[in-house]
Amino acid sequence: MTPDKSDVLYGTLGLMVIKTLEALGPLHGYRIARRIEQISGNQLALNQGTLYPALLKLEQMGWISSKWGTSESGRRVKIYALTRAGRKQLHNEEAQWQRAANIVERFLKISEDPS
Amino acid sequence: MTRLRVVLFRLLALVRSRQMDREIDDEITSHLAEATEESVRQGLSPEEARWAAQRSFGGVTQTKEVYRQVRSFRWLEDLARDLRHALRTLRKSPAFTMAAAATLALAIGTNTAMFSVLNAVLLRPLPYRSPEQLAMLWTEDPTQNLREGRSALWDVEQWQSQSQSFADMATFDAVSTVLTGADGAEQIVGASISPNLLPLLGVRPVLGRSFSTEEAEQRQRPVLISHRFWQARFGGSHDAIGATLVLNGFPSQIVGILPADFQIARLDADVWVPHSSRQSVRGGQMWFVIGRLRPGVTFDQAQAEMRAVARRLNDQLPAAERDQGISVVPLSLYVVGPQSRLALWLLGGAVLCVLLIAAANVTSLSLARSTARAREMAVRAALGANAGRIVRQLLTESVLLAAVSGLIGTLLALVAIRLIRAFGPGTLPRLNEVSLDVRVLGWALATSLLAGILVGLAPAMTTLRRDLRLAGEEGGRSVSGGASSRRIRRALVVAEFALAIVLLVGAGLLVRSWRYVNSIDPGFTPERVLVMEVSSPTTFSVPAQRTDLYHRVLEQIQAVPGVESAGITGDLFTANPRDQVLTVERDEGTVSERLRFTRDEVSADFFRTLGTPLLRGRFFSIGDRPEAPRVAIINDAMARRSWPGYDPVGRRFTLGPRDSDGPWYTVVGVVGDMRRQGLEREALPQIFVSLAQNPPPLNVDLFIRTSSDDPLAMAGALRAAVRRVEKNAPIYGVAPLEQQLGTYLTQRRFQTSLLTGFSVVALLMAAVGIYGLVQYSVATRTQEIGLRMAIGAQRGDIFRMMIGEGLTLSLTGVALGLVGAWWLGRAGSSLLFGVTTSDPLTFTAVSLLLTAVATAACYFPARRAMTVDPIVALRVT
Repeated sequence: MTPDKSDVLYGTLGLMVIKTLEALGPLHGYRIARRIEQISGNQLALNQGTLYPALLKLEQMGWISSKWGTSESGRRVKIYALTRAGRKQLHNEEAQWQRAANIVERFLKISEDPS
Repeated sequence: MTRLRVVLFRLLALVRSRQMDREIDDEITSHLAEATEESVRQGLSPEEARWAAQRSFGGVTQTKEVYRQVRSFRWLEDLARDLRHALRTLRKSPAFTMAAAATLALAIGTNTAMFSVLNAVLLRPLPYRSPEQLAMLWTEDPTQNLREGRSALWDVEQWQSQSQSFADMATFDAVSTVLTGADGAEQIVGASISPNLLPLLGVRPVLGRSFSTEEAEQRQRPVLISHRFWQARFGGSHDAIGATLVLNGFPSQIVGILPADFQIARLDADVWVPHSSRQSVRGGQMWFVIGRLRPGVTFDQAQAEMRAVARRLNDQLPAAERDQGISVVPLSLYVVGPQSRLALWLLGGAVLCVLLIAAANVTSLSLARSTARAREMAVRAALGANAGRIVRQLLTESVLLAAVSGLIGTLLALVAIRLIRAFGPGTLPRLNEVSLDVRVLGWALATSLLAGILVGLAPAMTTLRRDLRLAGEEGGRSVSGGASSRRIRRALVVAEFALAIVLLVGAGLLVRSWRYVNSIDPGFTPERVLVMEVSSPTTFSVPAQRTDLYHRVLEQIQAVPGVESAGITGDLFTANPRDQVLTVERDEGTVSERLRFTRDEVSADFFRTLGTPLLRGRFFSIGDRPEAPRVAIINDAMARRSWPGYDPVGRRFTLGPRDSDGPWYTVVGVVGDMRRQGLEREALPQIFVSLAQNPPPLNVDLFIRTSSDDPLAMAGALRAAVRRVEKNAPIYGVAPLEQQLGTYLTQRRFQTSLLTGFSVVALLMAAVGIYGLVQYSVATRTQEIGLRMAIGAQRGDIFRMMIGEGLTLSLTGVALGLVGAWWLGRAGSSLLFGVTTSDPLTFTAVSLLLTAVATAACYFPARRAMTVDPIVALRVT
């Protein structure tokens, strides 16, 4: 039951979800999926179904909360919102991502510049 | 923190799994609807839009499956599902379930009950502080074949001062005590203990205090009372402390109450008084000695040291006692002797056998079922269940079955424990401690689980090995069971028979021993004799007063109509004969020797009343007056021991060493040996002296031979006769002599009836097992039988074939079992009496019995096989 980060975040899907919720506020599942697709410029061929287990996991960790509500078109949907713990987690994750990305970037620069 | 949250969340999900199933369904439906709607808005046709939505969503079923995995503990949900399914399956075949559950419950119940006895008597530590350091110390004398002899206080003091192994030593003994109250006098059990005994054991009074060494020295009279006595006499009131009891005529003050069920070793008493351990003279060898080893000292080391101490001490002893040794025995070994231990372990092994047989039977049943369920398993496999999943399902079923059986079994055990406590032999120590504690419950749980796994394993393994798809193709037809499952079932029947015969032989040998013991002549005829114990009141402290009292009591009793004769002795069933020095006159001169013998004062009619035969000389007579020369009657064992090859009548002896100033007795008669220490023990040398010539004991056994077959019916009249002489004389222990003699048999009867009960259960189970196997074999081989008959087999051939199948198995089991029984019999040989461990009669009878039972069990299914109609049998497919 160790909360392994790669496991929890389903690669980066979890991070995308909480970032989305931070940016847009509470959303239901379909909106989250569409938003992620749009941001990635439709380059991420996401099986939308995989979103739901990820949402459940995030909820179990206490980073998002859910409650039943109504969509713009009047359907009964579950609406997910970022919790305070989730927000904190997001900042940690973002910082880590930045660090990791920086390191990788530096490596890539070295290999581009064979001296 | 987060981890805990996840666990809680998942546990919660477990409870509301159905609701969560619905919710995810709704969520996905909404999701797809939203997606479709958006695509329609972008210009797709509804049909196309729906396809597009589903495409981008991916597999709905897979999503749900992954979702479920995340949602809760997968294994827990599986388990819940397996349990539900198992429950359904078991409910669907009530006959199987009931038979299996009843079999297992019976086996688990007897196992649990037996374990509770083992637990209380053997496993639970004695209720003292660090009981593993406690030892009994005995005086032994190998030349007299004396092992557990009592010791003198002076000896104990020497042992203690000369040895390093023991932190402390204490002494105790039972003392007969008369309690005088407002409503007359009565006999109670008392104990005399050295004041350091309770601290040595680490036992404190629950109320009040213990007594001090000073109190014991100053001959004050403090007394501790047992919890039971406190409840009965004082209703558990605190006022008991400080109250006065008149014991043996002296007022004694209660200073404390001992814990409930407190006993010292095997001694259980109501009042406990101190004795001074300081002695100026050596005193009698009459004390039990208990010692506490210093930490880190082993029993072997202590024994080695005491051996050396004994050698040093022997030089200071009288010549006749120079062969004494000291033996150190762990207290637990003394409390429950080797005989009882062996019997209990064997009984424990026997119930385990019963459990194995029961498990074998149920396994066989469920194997038969698993063959029938091959199709179900094939369908499950086809739907994607892997082998592991199916095995788990089968194991869940059997463990659930065993758990239910275990529950019923535990209830049965509760009843059995009550029965054991009520009817178990009082001679088995610590039986009053038998109860259902955590350890016993743990054992019940463990046996249930074990049974469950054993029962489920075989069907699971055969299912694994069988090619599931193949079974699916054949499943509808009447396959005659998987070959491997058939092999296992045959092996199980063989094993059942082998185990059953081991138990039966054991029971048979015990029954034979019991009958033998029962047929032993005790040396007297107990029929129609009533025993009453009478104490002389404390005012009768002068011996002559007691002589007169007993004389008048006998007179009154003989005057009661229906009384043929009456006699008196000190104590017929002497539990602890003492070892004394005896000096006898022989042809070659006067010889002193140390001997274990009994010496009792008896009245003139004592032997006639008990029906003990006179071998030589005469009985006591009126002429043996107090002033006449002292006379004695000895038993045959004594005659053989002290005057081998001579007629002892007319010879003289004295108690004590040659130079003692005790009176000399002349032997006037020799009587037959009486087995006064139990039927299974050879009679000791016994000396009887005349009640009229010697100081009579304070308490006596009165024997009354009546003309009635129910001597107890006369108890009232006899009591009244004694009361007419002296109304303050306590009367107790009124019972027919036959019944008193019977108590020696209780432990043997307990063992014998338990083992017989277990083996009958085992036999029945084995019979059911073989019946089931042959029955099933007939049912599944209908086709084959039909075919055989169609090509010319006679009905007799079929019958012989089926019977033969059953008998081959059972005879194999019997043969194996006989070897096992012979081998195990040697381990338990010390429990037998009068039969050898390879008693041919028992072995033959048991083999025949088992073969007969097996034949009967095979007969009915084999008959059915004979009546198979070949046409029908062949058409069935």
